Amino acid sequence: MPSFSSAEYAAILLSLKVASTATLVSLPFGFGAAYLMTYCRFRGKIALDVAVNLPLTLPPVVIGYLLLILLGQKGFIGRHLLEPLGIRLIFTWKAAVIATAVVGFPLLVRSIRIGMETIDPMIIKASRTLGAGWLDAMFSVIIPLSLRGVLAGSALMFARALGEFGATIIVAGNIPGVTQTIPLAIYDYASSPDGDAMAMLLCLVSVVISVLVLLFHEYLSRRMIRVD
Amino acid sequence: MRTIISLFLVMLFALPVQAAELSISAAASLKEVINELSVSYAGKNPGVTFTKIYGGSGQLAKQVEQGAPADIFISANYEWMEYLKTRGVVDVKSVDTFAYNVLVFAGRTEQKIGGFRDVVRLARIAIGSPKSVPAGEYAMEAFRKAGLDKQLEKKLVIAKDVRECLMYAERGEVDGAFVYKTDALQLAGNSKILFTVPQDLYPRVSYPMALTASGAKKPEAAAFLAFLKTSEAKAVLMKHGFQVR
Amino acid sequence: MELRIVLQKRFGSFDLDMDVAISHFRTGVFGPSGSGKSTLVSMIAGLERPDNGLIQLNGETLFDGSLDMPPDKRRIGIIFQHPHLFPHLSTQGNLLYGLNRCPADLRRVDFDTLVEVLQIGHLLKRGVNHLSGGEKQRVAIGRAVLSNPRLLLMDEPLSALDDTLRFQIIGYLKSVCETFSIPFIFISHSLLEMRLMADQVLNVAGGRIIGSSSAEELARQRLGSSQVGYINLLELGRSCEAGTLYAYPWGAARLLLSAGSDRDNSIAELSSKDIILFKQHPEAISARNLLQCTVRSLFSSGRKIGVELECSGNTLISEVVQDAVTELGIAPGGTVYAAVKASAFRMLPG
Repeated sequence: MPSFSSAEYAAILLSLKVASTATLVSLPFGFGAAYLMTYCRFRGKIALDVAVNLPLTLPPVVIGYLLLILLGQKGFIGRHLLEPLGIRLIFTWKAAVIATAVVGFPLLVRSIRIGMETIDPMIIKASRTLGAGWLDAMFSVIIPLSLRGVLAGSALMFARALGEFGATIIVAGNIPGVTQTIPLAIYDYASSPDGDAMAMLLCLVSVVISVLVLLFHEYLSRRMIRVD
Repeated sequence: MRTIISLFLVMLFALPVQAAELSISAAASLKEVINELSVSYAGKNPGVTFTKIYGGSGQLAKQVEQGAPADIFISANYEWMEYLKTRGVVDVKSVDTFAYNVLVFAGRTEQKIGGFRDVVRLARIAIGSPKSVPAGEYAMEAFRKAGLDKQLEKKLVIAKDVRECLMYAERGEVDGAFVYKTDALQLAGNSKILFTVPQDLYPRVSYPMALTASGAKKPEAAAFLAFLKTSEAKAVLMKHGFQVR
Repeated sequence: MELRIVLQKRFGSFDLDMDVAISHFRTGVFGPSGSGKSTLVSMIAGLERPDNGLIQLNGETLFDGSLDMPPDKRRIGIIFQHPHLFPHLSTQGNLLYGLNRCPADLRRVDFDTLVEVLQIGHLLKRGVNHLSGGEKQRVAIGRAVLSNPRLLLMDEPLSALDDTLRFQIIGYLKSVCETFSIPFIFISHSLLEMRLMADQVLNVAGGRIIGSSSAEELARQRLGSSQVGYINLLELGRSCEAGTLYAYPWGAARLLLSAGSDRDNSIAELSSKDIILFKQHPEAISARNLLQCTVRSLFSSGRKIGVELECSGNTLISEVVQDAVTELGIAPGGTVYAAVKASAFRMLPG
């Protein structure tokens, strides 16, 4: 029975760190996107819909490659924004966060939208007539009532983020201690003939964490349905 | 209808006597040389077709062990050949050395890297995974012998084989990569060889080759293996930068 | 209170076009479903935007071609058909929502007084999911009133309630608006509710205002077309037993009803269709109520004739056909006898 060395613990901690950062960073954008898609009517709304859901249908490696092209040294954003500011994203843990956030974003938005759509629109109208402006209504009514959707979406995104591999390996590389998350560590061991035992152990850790997170998500979803 | 069936049967039996499909699993660094050798062999032996798989030797060894089709296996170090030998997957009698190579460090041209110890000053260095890629194992061995391994922690970008290392170096994702000298011939222009790794820091890079258990049953496989030891093959090897002795 | 509205809105096949000034304290908007009443209310509140027009409240422009004041600035409250309480706040939280958003210098409604008037003191700490339908609607009323609106709109607030509850809530609505002097516009498709709530009624149909009158006049106008005729609302005093029936004082008169009541005051409905007129006092008649009345006036409504009677100081309206008027020679000033069965009355729930 092999035991974990510091490299494995580093991978586990890194996975948790990348997944939580990606989820937290995505929350305001996810909420904003869900709000726009639920409550606003504007031209080009379909474009937003497609853009938000695109990462769900694209293979993660494609997403990774597109991010690489965009954010790399020769990329559009890389050349005109990052390079002048001296920001290096490719092959850093920040790139892992970005790749993970992009891949998990549709899941987050989807859950928040479902939560928002269960809110009776008449309640929001009532709050407006009682003196709440749209921002006030958002904080005093919409956010509290869509909280469960936000939490469920975060849990789902976190679970997905723990398993992110394809986009991450392309845009953040496999750097032990820096960007080697659990899936990348497993891949490394799985490629090696005598690494099976360790790969299995890491798989186990990954499964356990994912199961816990998904159980939490299920619990929240049930509470969401019960309220209305 | 009858004519079609008879035509079909004629075609089946009219195949050349030496009809065979050979699968070769070889270390990534051997890609160009094996490609050239197999093409020239097939030219002289019509009816022999090749399927070639290149990658990190450890990964390939694992695949072969698990039943992936391969008649000939060529590794970039002895470790993975031993691995298959102890598992009875290769024909022990057929084991021989194909070629030799040298480890170098290649990177982007603007940098001032004079010798091996200078790499600690760099931010990112690509090596093949030490768990399965011989070039990576050789590099790690060299780091340990030189006492640099602790300093290089967190700077190493793990790639799945030398070709990927090369790609990272070329693209500028890393400051440099440990690859074989033969790979340096593939470099496009952004990067070049910065130094050769001192031979006293790592064992000699040797490429053992052998027939697998399934390959041992095919006379065509043995024939090709013999071809790889001829002077003609050695000439091609040297042309690509490998050492033959 | 002066509300000036000129509104046009078109969507789908619906076409709304209204132009009216409302200055009564208690105004009603009466019409069938789909007549545009709710749309009108939404536009006044700022929840829907008219295609064009003008909305001015007490001289302040809320909407015209260039300005569209958002609903949170208009200080117009709405009570909807359903309470729409905030599920994540307690009863008290709901009540205070509007109050907290009202500028301090404009707060006139006292929280404790309101809670007492609506009798919701014992509900304050409860979550809103644990309230009954009637309790929720009372809290919704309280919530809207506590936002100190200059005008209160009530969009069919009673339609989702059962009869008993309905008249109870009418009581609360009236007392709250009276206590705090809040003018209101009451929307309903029920003529009875209109008569109990409003002084002046706008009659709406097909997106247009087709008439404006007092509730009483409206009821009379509809005598001929209504299936129940004109409903007399009789204010009765305390009943006492009279044999198998119950005797109620009705002003200076006395009525016999088959149903008893333990209330000091109640209102009974009596349809104009259930009153038979006799030119002379009939000798033996099964109906237990026989009232001597003086004819005050006659009015026509559709194919019927409404007869306004004065009876011991009370007013009663009966309906007959033209032939009967001619045959009996019914004319203002004449005496007739009105016969009503004891079972013809229907008590309004208190």
